[in-house]
Amino acid sequence: MYAQAFFVAVFGLAAIGFGVVVFRTSSMMRSALALLFSMTAVGCLFLAMQTEFLGVLQIMMMATEMSIMAIFMVMFMMDPGGLGGMDMSHQKRFSIGAGVSAAVVAIAVALLSDWGPAAEQVVDAEAQTRALGMELLGRSMMIFETAGITILTAMIAATAVAIPVQNLSSKDDKEASE
Amino acid sequence: MTVAIVLLALLGSAWLLAVIEGWMATGRLSPAAPLFRGLAHLGRESIVPRSPDRVFFEAAPVLLLVVAVLGMAVLPLAPDLIIADLGTGALFVNAALAYVLVAVIMAGWGPDGAYGMIGGWRFLGQLIAYSMLIVMPITAVAMRAESLVNTAIVGSQAGLWNIVYQPLGFVLFYIAAMALAFRAPFDLPSAEGELGGGVDAEYTGVRLAVLRLARLTLVVTLASATTVFYLGGWHGPLLPPWAWSLIKTLAVAVSMLLVGHYLPRIREADLMRWCWVLGIPLALLNIIIVGLLILVVP
Repeated sequence: MYAQAFFVAVFGLAAIGFGVVVFRTSSMMRSALALLFSMTAVGCLFLAMQTEFLGVLQIMMMATEMSIMAIFMVMFMMDPGGLGGMDMSHQKRFSIGAGVSAAVVAIAVALLSDWGPAAEQVVDAEAQTRALGMELLGRSMMIFETAGITILTAMIAATAVAIPVQNLSSKDDKEASE
Repeated sequence: MTVAIVLLALLGSAWLLAVIEGWMATGRLSPAAPLFRGLAHLGRESIVPRSPDRVFFEAAPVLLLVVAVLGMAVLPLAPDLIIADLGTGALFVNAALAYVLVAVIMAGWGPDGAYGMIGGWRFLGQLIAYSMLIVMPITAVAMRAESLVNTAIVGSQAGLWNIVYQPLGFVLFYIAAMALAFRAPFDLPSAEGELGGGVDAEYTGVRLAVLRLARLTLVVTLASATTVFYLGGWHGPLLPPWAWSLIKTLAVAVSMLLVGHYLPRIREADLMRWCWVLGIPLALLNIIIVGLLILVVP
């Protein structure tokens, strides 16, 4: 129990620490990978709380997602290496206010909520995975399928928007030149 | 004890691969060569390039080695010879190997070199190509075993190995595993002669020694994963279980080196096109076939 609490605390602090690094660095790569390791620490937090499937899934998903985010950040920022001394923060007063009040609300929710009794024992990881599978393909199936289809639609729409309409534009150019 | 045995097996296999790699490159079979080359690396100056991202530069080779060893930690050599028999073992292999990408990108970005950086980002493109072909065949394997536990996956192949039950999945996984290990013909991130070594280019001395060891270990881990998922793991007649696991793993690893030795390097765009246009539909077909087999064949 004490070991578990210790590791939950360590990974929790690691998640917060890496989260702070995200905003403290000017390098887009460092920022993206700090966010990745913050998320990985959250995954380890799940592992420490004996929710193995969620933990491993979080650790796996974030590696690819954050790496892909990194290349977009490098592509779109003028100073991706952070060597030019550019200040990348803005609306400082508002951001600090929003951040502090959000933190206060989160801490208040954590402290004031009635979380019920802590689970003394949990079923083993294999049984958990099975129960999760039954949940995802049973009661929660519609929710997840709807979310999946929505994300797929958004991806297709985004790709469609990103592809230039070559025929039309060339026709327009021709008309314009005539 | 188990940890020591598995690590020793991993190190021994990596050494054997290094010997065979040297044999294919030079034509001379020299068992001591990897040792001498390793010692030579330790003796050489370990150059740090100008204005590197020091954290990434130093961490990348170590991270690559750690994820390869972590992947191996959940793969069984025998029923009781496994470091951690996790309830989500098959998923954990994926999770550990996802950080190969992170390590390669770090190795590319860290040294502040053009070739390295191109190599690192190339591997991101390579991931977009191969990652689905790692995950989807494993899904079909887990479907048959009705479990993500790696020992249960080997147990499900007692009667019939998965390479026979789902040959399509095996072919896809084998190709994707080679792409993940960025071995030839998928060695785009480190392309010799084209990128001057790519992500390896700026590493020298002890850091290069760790990077080389990590890359060989990664091949062994992936070969072991192929053995566990498709070649019946420790199952086999006469010899003890661990011996079968080792023989199969080494055979797969050597076959990967051989295939790479005789094939030309594939282009990034071609790899992406083939994986998405052909690979993913085939992987889906594999899942459907396996699903039907599970339902129809008792």
